[in-house]
Amino acid sequence: MSDRKTERLINLTLALLATKRYLKKSEILTNVQGYEGSQDAKERMFERDKDDLRSLGIEIEVGDLDVFFEDEPGYRIPQKSYELNVPDLTGRELALLSVASNFWNDSILAPNAQSGIRKLQSLGIPASLDFEFRMKYRFENPSELLEQISKAILQKSRISFAYDSASLKTRHLEPYRIVFWNSYWYLIGMDIDRKAIRLFKLSRFQGSVEISKKKNEFNIPTDFDVSQHLPKEDVEIIRTAVVEIRKDSGALFRRRGKQIAEGVEFDTYEIDYENERAFLREILWHGENIRLVEPQALKEQLLILIDGILT
Amino acid sequence: MTESALDRTARALDLVPYLLEHQGISVAELAQVFGVSEKQINSDLILIHMCGLPGYTPLELIEMYYEDGYVTVSDPQSLNKPRKMNRTEITSLLVSLDLLKSTRSDRIAEEVETLKTKLRKSLSFENPYVVVANSKNSDLVEQIELAITKANALEIVYLSGSKDQSTERLILPLELYQQNNFTYLKAWCQTSEGERTFRLDRFVSLKISDANRISYARNEKLIAPQLANIELIVSKQARNFIEENRGIIANLVEGEAIQVTLHPIDLDWLARTILGYGSSIRVVGPKQLAEDITARAKAIRQLYPISK
Repeated sequence: MSDRKTERLINLTLALLATKRYLKKSEILTNVQGYEGSQDAKERMFERDKDDLRSLGIEIEVGDLDVFFEDEPGYRIPQKSYELNVPDLTGRELALLSVASNFWNDSILAPNAQSGIRKLQSLGIPASLDFEFRMKYRFENPSELLEQISKAILQKSRISFAYDSASLKTRHLEPYRIVFWNSYWYLIGMDIDRKAIRLFKLSRFQGSVEISKKKNEFNIPTDFDVSQHLPKEDVEIIRTAVVEIRKDSGALFRRRGKQIAEGVEFDTYEIDYENERAFLREILWHGENIRLVEPQALKEQLLILIDGILT
Repeated sequence: MTESALDRTARALDLVPYLLEHQGISVAELAQVFGVSEKQINSDLILIHMCGLPGYTPLELIEMYYEDGYVTVSDPQSLNKPRKMNRTEITSLLVSLDLLKSTRSDRIAEEVETLKTKLRKSLSFENPYVVVANSKNSDLVEQIELAITKANALEIVYLSGSKDQSTERLILPLELYQQNNFTYLKAWCQTSEGERTFRLDRFVSLKISDANRISYARNEKLIAPQLANIELIVSKQARNFIEENRGIIANLVEGEAIQVTLHPIDLDWLARTILGYGSSIRVVGPKQLAEDITARAKAIRQLYPISK
């Protein structure tokens, strides 16, 4: 059964692609193989087939034939709208694309990237890989939520989801963009309750995402720039700390900083850092070989961590 | 598993132009490229073989030869070109390119930009994805890639991340990858006679060495002494400990706080790392680890005598 339907759909596509003029419905039902049964049954079959092909993204053009056929419409698939056409794609670029699409491994985006590549590889461009490319990318696999969320973004529908933070709450969001940053996937958008742009880590979503039935509920500001909304502690704000490093230790730390004094037991260094928590972890990792001198506020946080362990 | 007629149609429409550009391809390879079984490809090919243009005489059918598991298409009828890419295909490729670009500091980054413009021109979709690249790409990457290809050995001076000291090592580079914003090299380390992972930002120097000095025998890793399970209670504030160390986590039980069981691992490294999370990570066992962390915390506390 499924064989016959598949066969009919392929035959219909072939026929509509091959024709320059519009094919009348009656011509199709008579000539294209696979339309059987009563006239009514054939017509219903054809209507469903048209919908099916359109759902695959195939454009079926409906046109008026000439006056003789009065109200009988004609159909065809314009080659230009059917065929993939990427002008000037070079073999090297095709090779780059194949390399890039391999990043997905077995993640949710892999099948899409692979079928895209297959189509490009059917264009008749010889791929040439003349570079040594060895770098791989290991990252958190994107979750199954990606497809749902990107659909919501494209149709501009609001979403709600349960999010695991200090308090587990349902969030209501106008989703703007899915962001890949620091090896993790995030969703950025307008938090409707807080009336502010917020960033959410996809791995902390609990359960599924509910997409509003309505479309075009919001607009993404034309000047929206993701990089403006990433947490400040993690981007470009660089602060300087003063630390003392015990002799013959902290080689990595020394390399990052600038020595400002030499002592007997400890040397003093100035070191730039971006993320406070990550920096504190680095200091504590070195145990008693590094002593934080400044800034005072950071030192207090360090002592909170240590006292937390000791109590 | 029943596949819809629609999915099958989509694959058949893609198969024909692919075959046209890959004449004489084996069924096994086709199955791999299209991500289905060989049996499925075979039945697809039989089906396609029966399709064609109205008239349906041999002249109007898709003409295909099939011999000893190899396929050739001689007349595709009107299916000579691949279909347009759909939205998900094009967006996955664009994100892949962005990822690729974020790992490179060489001319490939520029080429990717040109390529993206070309793809966008022919297929205009709103792209819901943004890749923010802020990793610090090491300029050693290209040298190491070349060494991997040529199987060159490398002499490196490396600042160890787990011991706080620098060492000279002779290594055979095997695999480069980016993770958590760092670039890593997996290599056979002749000096320690085992596979080791190095972080590129901890290289002090690197030079090409004579590969003959390496005897790369990938002997099974020495079985780590069977330690008692390492068990931690990680509160939600310390979630990124879990996110950054997925590779060593054996088991997770979610709850108010998260119970984590780790694979056997260097306890010195672990103790140093846990220190940085303060009270948000508690050690359940082994006792030795908990005691070690407390001792370290006391020693650190001694460094700050004035504060309360």
